[in-house]
Amino acid sequence: MTIKDMQVGQRGKVARILKGSTAERRLFEIGIVPGVMVKLLSRHPFQGPLLLEIGNARIALGRKIAASVEVEME
Amino acid sequence: MQIAMIGNPNVGKSSALNRLTGSKLFISNYSGTSVELTEARVKISNRDIKIIDTPGIYSIYSHGEEQDIIRGLLEEESIDLVLNIIDATNLDRNLVLTLELLELNIPVVVVLNQIDRSRAMGITIDSQHLSQLLHCPVVTFSAISGEGLMELMDILEKGVLRFTKGIEAGIEHIFHLDTAQPGHCSGDCRNCSITAETCMNIADLQRAEKARTLSKMVSKEQAATEKVWLQRIKSIIDRPVIGTALLLLLAYLAFLFLLKFIELSEGPISSLLEPVNIMLEGFITGQLPPGLITTILAKAVPEGLIIPFTIIMPAMLMVSILMSVLEDTGLLPRYSVALERVGSFFGVSGQAVIPLSLGFGCRTPAVLATRIMPTEAQRFIIITLLSIVIPCAATLGILASVISTFQASLPVIVLTMLGTLMLLGFILSRLMPREDCFIYELPPLRIPMWTNVWNKIKMRFSGFFTEVLPLLLLMSIAIRALMESGLLDIFASMEEFTRLLFGIPAEAFVAVLITIFQRYLAPLVLLNLSLSPREATIAISMIALSLPCLPVMVMTVREIGMKGLIKILAMGFATSFCVGIILNIILP
Repeated sequence: MTIKDMQVGQRGKVARILKGSTAERRLFEIGIVPGVMVKLLSRHPFQGPLLLEIGNARIALGRKIAASVEVEME
Repeated sequence: MQIAMIGNPNVGKSSALNRLTGSKLFISNYSGTSVELTEARVKISNRDIKIIDTPGIYSIYSHGEEQDIIRGLLEEESIDLVLNIIDATNLDRNLVLTLELLELNIPVVVVLNQIDRSRAMGITIDSQHLSQLLHCPVVTFSAISGEGLMELMDILEKGVLRFTKGIEAGIEHIFHLDTAQPGHCSGDCRNCSITAETCMNIADLQRAEKARTLSKMVSKEQAATEKVWLQRIKSIIDRPVIGTALLLLLAYLAFLFLLKFIELSEGPISSLLEPVNIMLEGFITGQLPPGLITTILAKAVPEGLIIPFTIIMPAMLMVSILMSVLEDTGLLPRYSVALERVGSFFGVSGQAVIPLSLGFGCRTPAVLATRIMPTEAQRFIIITLLSIVIPCAATLGILASVISTFQASLPVIVLTMLGTLMLLGFILSRLMPREDCFIYELPPLRIPMWTNVWNKIKMRFSGFFTEVLPLLLLMSIAIRALMESGLLDIFASMEEFTRLLFGIPAEAFVAVLITIFQRYLAPLVLLNLSLSPREATIAISMIALSLPCLPVMVMTVREIGMKGLIKILAMGFATSFCVGIILNIILP
């Protein structure tokens, strides 16, 4: 499952970035790399961005990008 | 000797620079780009040192203007020491850049900033241990409280002394792969079968992991001391529904504030300038021989002075304050996130709501506010929409008086404006290149450091006298010349033409053209004509959806150049005429 499928409040560990994602470098920059724990804080309505907590930082991801990050639930 | 400050976005580089140097800052535009570098000069150990503040980046190896510039700075051997500012609350990610910098063989000093905030979150960091592990000095620092300043100055002094003694480091780029992993890195890039990209990826991931390990080794987390209710309040702004509502409310308040500000300041300033203008006009007519040029100058010069001082100056001041506060409190990126859906329809970031809502008050400061937009293309789109569609308070006032006099159809005019906004926005968004990658970091909300805000205001506002004023004077003269030259009288004889296309008499068409250039003449010119409601509706729509007033044009030239302005003027005329033609066809 990907970040896009997470429920609000859930925690997951990033497993891998799916191939074909143009944002791989940007994901790496912002700290979304395999092994990192993420928590879904909220979803914006109308297919809007998802707000994640990574460490002590808050990161907003567009739905398309969120669908390219595979996570393992804890 | 040159020192570069490098670090992630939002770590507090500018605040740290402020602490180190006071407010003696210069802004320099990196040639050929829109990237601005802030520099400061200090005296350390009796030497003149230049400290360069760079834009926040996550990795020096990424694509982008900022990264290219920073790499250029580092490669050209012009940097003698790197001050790596990191956010103590986000060691995992910040240390990745640190590791990249440490590989470059330039002396690095790590500044563990926001140490006070990390303590409030219950995080303890063993900076000594970190220093041992990284093999470089690590200073705990808080730009807000000044903690660590003495220690940092001490380290910098030692660094300067060493530099003075002629111990300079050369620069080499080495990808340090873990040589304990067999078969991975021979250090010989030319004969290596691994592509540069894959090699980079492996190196990146290894740095990321090392950063995480280091962070775990030196940090300890305990219970946070910050009050829970304060955290909750800060979090409200990030809630999807309530947060968005709050952000929109703030934009609306900014618009109201701007209106009030202009209202209050315009009066006193114009009464101050009135005698000056009369004197100027008299002086010019007195000194120069009577004739066309004198008339033009006599009217245009005072005109060119009233507007900048009564409208533009207070507006620029207020918007500079607003933008600085929005940036430094951390509110700005939240607009991008909350309004992402709406923004993507128009191909712009949600931050566009700020200049657009200011535009309903006055478009001149709104154009200045477009600087917050992330890309040039988006700035162009918003400035275009502001120039052609968004009616400012002055325009609305004019429209109101003319609409009621001629009984023109308000619903039609409003619908036409809305329709044009959507259509124009949509067309522009498809024409501009779109970046399809939405990743934003939301920095923690905080009270800005007022010295920072003050510096930003000073830097933004300084352009007023040097750039805006001369331009406005020039354009004022140009437009006056155009009008006095009688060029517009040509159109007066094109009755059949205007009736066929727009359904309005030629006089009305000339009126449209005049008001396009000099908005405040609109009531005077139009009210002298007799127009049927249908004719009035079309004429008013054509005026409302055309060009902005002179100060806005000047600001546009300043922000996106003459070419940009010409494009917008062309689009404005095209829009106005198309609206006239279409309405002529549709309306009964």
